[in-house]
Amino acid sequence: SILEYNGAAIIAMKGRDCVAIASDRRFGIQAQTVSTNFQKIFEMGPRLYIGLPGLATDVQTVHQRLQFRLNLYELRENRRIKPKTFLSMVSNLLYERRFGPYFVEPVIAGLDPKTFEPFIASMDLIGCPMVTDDFVVSGTCSEQMYGMCESVWEPNMDPQELFESISQALLNAVDRDAVSGWGGIVHIIEKDQVTTTELKGRMD
Amino acid sequence: MALADVCGLKTNQLKNSFLSDFGGSSTHLLDDALTSTTNFTVPYGIDPVESLKEFTNPKSDVKIHFDHGTTTLAFKFQHGVIVAVDSRATAGPSIESQTVKKVIEINPYLLGTMAGGAADCAYWERVLARQCRIYELRNKERISVAAASKLLANIVYNYKGMGLSMGTMICGWDKRGPGLYYVDSDGERMSNNIYSVGSGSVYAYGVLDSGYRYDLSVEEAIDLGRRSIYHATHRDAYSGGVVNLYHMKESGWEFISQTDVFDLHYQYKAEKEKK
Repeated sequence: SILEYNGAAIIAMKGRDCVAIASDRRFGIQAQTVSTNFQKIFEMGPRLYIGLPGLATDVQTVHQRLQFRLNLYELRENRRIKPKTFLSMVSNLLYERRFGPYFVEPVIAGLDPKTFEPFIASMDLIGCPMVTDDFVVSGTCSEQMYGMCESVWEPNMDPQELFESISQALLNAVDRDAVSGWGGIVHIIEKDQVTTTELKGRMD
Repeated sequence: MALADVCGLKTNQLKNSFLSDFGGSSTHLLDDALTSTTNFTVPYGIDPVESLKEFTNPKSDVKIHFDHGTTTLAFKFQHGVIVAVDSRATAGPSIESQTVKKVIEINPYLLGTMAGGAADCAYWERVLARQCRIYELRNKERISVAAASKLLANIVYNYKGMGLSMGTMICGWDKRGPGLYYVDSDGERMSNNIYSVGSGSVYAYGVLDSGYRYDLSVEEAIDLGRRSIYHATHRDAYSGGVVNLYHMKESGWEFISQTDVFDLHYQYKAEKEKK
């Protein structure tokens, strides 16, 4: 299956005045693991991140094309994009390829540039957006991640609790998936700082 | 038997059977193994190879998928045989278990490894254990590794084409010294000094071949086996969990260790950084 060719796992969670986004680090080609530091989460603004699981070549192409569109937007509008608008921009980019899609199912996490309100959303490979108030997951082990998130998420977690929850959710979910894992990376996005942590996980 | 004759009942459906009378257990170990297991429920009156083709044909809707996601290895050296295996079972991309026992203890001086269909390996190696015991009782001496592996190979050859999936290494120590045979469900049976079976075997061979010498010490051999499985679990998505390690000595097998590859990864990493 094309979406399982490379393998990936991404989670985004909402907390109190903060959001978190986490991904695994594996780049593999079917059974073989080629790299253990592959970037799947990209910074699109000081408080806006997008996670791209799926076919690795499309992960990189979608990121590059999105960056292009975002640059033009920021030049024309002379301001940072809101997360909700960014969601529509990604959705449009994916639907343009409705009959020959990019094999990525993005996850967006960020804070509004003016109000700093937390925002998380995900999308399928042809751009259908879904905004939630708790968590979003995407990748080859999405079922495992849903199970973990349902267990560990609670509303209004502060950044430390959010970090613990999202890390445990990711690590235990990828330990039940053969094609994702090999380490993890977490970004905790708050109003005045972004904390990036590498997770020590199973490397098998 | 009169009713059986009237109905035209055939007493066995297996090809290449040596049996001439029904019901008596034969003095041939092979016949005994085959007849004692003809209590399989099969559809009456049809050729098993033809009817079981659907379970092996890749285009079929009912193909039984065997998971060869595994890494098992065994090698002979001056102090016996080292057997090392991983412990992961996968169903597609989903990890079903990280605690599978892939070394089958046939008897105190024979070990078999598991790759392919777990049920096939476990069942037929247990049949092999029974036949080895019968041999011991009849001949008042232990069966040789060559004979044990040949028994297993011949048993599964009778089921060739019916969809068994088994890739096993039979390890032991007999009069000729350490013994290691590779036996699979295609009927293949070979002996050599080093074998690795499974999806991660390519990675294990790399490490094994570069570190192997016949005159390794016991500690070096154990480390080599453990390291080879670790490297396979790191690169192969379908291998992982823990490394189960056995040492086959003249006095029989000894279970050496069970180590989580998580710990091995950070241990080897620390060793590299110290250098």
